[in-house]
Amino acid sequence: MTTLKDALRLADPLAREPGPPEARVAQARRRAVVAVGVAGSRAARPVARRHVLVAGAVTAAAVAAGVAFWRGGLTPVLAAVRFEIRLAEEAQAPGLREAPVGSDPRLVYLHEAIVVSNDHIATARVVAGRDAEHFDVEVVFTPGGARRMAEATRAHIGRPVALLVDGLVVMAPTVRSAIGDRALLTGDYTRAEAERIAAGMLVR
Amino acid sequence: MAVLADDASPFTDGRRERLAVLFDAHAPRLYRLARRLAPSADDALDLVQETFVRAAGALDRVPDGPAAEAWLVRTLVNLQRDHWRRAKVRSRTAAAGKGEAQTPDPERCVVARDLVWRALDALAPRRRAVIVMHELEDVPVASIATLLGVSRVTVRWHLAKGRRELARIIGAHGGMR
Repeated sequence: MTTLKDALRLADPLAREPGPPEARVAQARRRAVVAVGVAGSRAARPVARRHVLVAGAVTAAAVAAGVAFWRGGLTPVLAAVRFEIRLAEEAQAPGLREAPVGSDPRLVYLHEAIVVSNDHIATARVVAGRDAEHFDVEVVFTPGGARRMAEATRAHIGRPVALLVDGLVVMAPTVRSAIGDRALLTGDYTRAEAERIAAGMLVR
Repeated sequence: MAVLADDASPFTDGRRERLAVLFDAHAPRLYRLARRLAPSADDALDLVQETFVRAAGALDRVPDGPAAEAWLVRTLVNLQRDHWRRAKVRSRTAAAGKGEAQTPDPERCVVARDLVWRALDALAPRRRAVIVMHELEDVPVASIATLLGVSRVTVRWHLAKGRRELARIIGAHGGMR
């Protein structure tokens, strides 16, 4: 005969498993932090309303305003997503900033100058990813953005270029030839994540 | 992990840093609980990620200090409850005649482990969380009540019911006191 505690300890998977892979933990952390960036702007308006409701005496007008907001009586703010492309290097050098790439252990070193950003995006749309459950975001640049990309990457062949979403490097592919008018943002996104990013990139 | 801060919004950066601090402080503990609630390590990690993504969207409701752990644990258990309910619906509509899952390994201890874990799977997530926290993590009843946001009476009730259900299943196969 054995006690329940003994039986559970015998069956406990944590007694046999080494723990989650660091890369997956880092990926989970990154996705949670990015989720703050996506929700941040949207949270700004409801936070202001919430302060009215909770900070002391609750007036009927404040309650009505809060109810109106949560019932959708006000136009919700679409969260802006800050998108950038910067040139990068594989080795540290003066003036460069170290940054991890997604959930990889790989590091790149970012140039300070931003090559293109949201202002240079003409369109952004969700496209199919590596399988049915994952999606990517295709970004098409404005003519000015395409010119900046071509000029910057023409002299950067064989070196990485970093794509950043809300300040985090999501990918850093090596430049094989000068990049033209579009880029594909791949990050194992769910459809909802990809749609949020694509829509948020176009918010000015 | 470095977070680029140049020309970033201080509003977003402060919140992002707070979420990162919460993750670093509580993710290991949440993973241990999640692994004992979810069917696999991957599912457990997904559950932890989903918990913190929820926290990211509701950062103003996540309290500071020790109460943050309770908020995160409750969110995780509630998320697992949602997954469990959906899984139960799927299993009811799955092809009949699957029968009991059998491991190919004939070793008795592997079969016993499988039996105990399947018995746990049959418990509703909150009851399972109470059993796991009390029996495996040695968390006192009062602390479990705080973490789950329920009364001590409710925790003791879940413990009693959970132990009876597990004893019924496991005891029928090999005895348990």
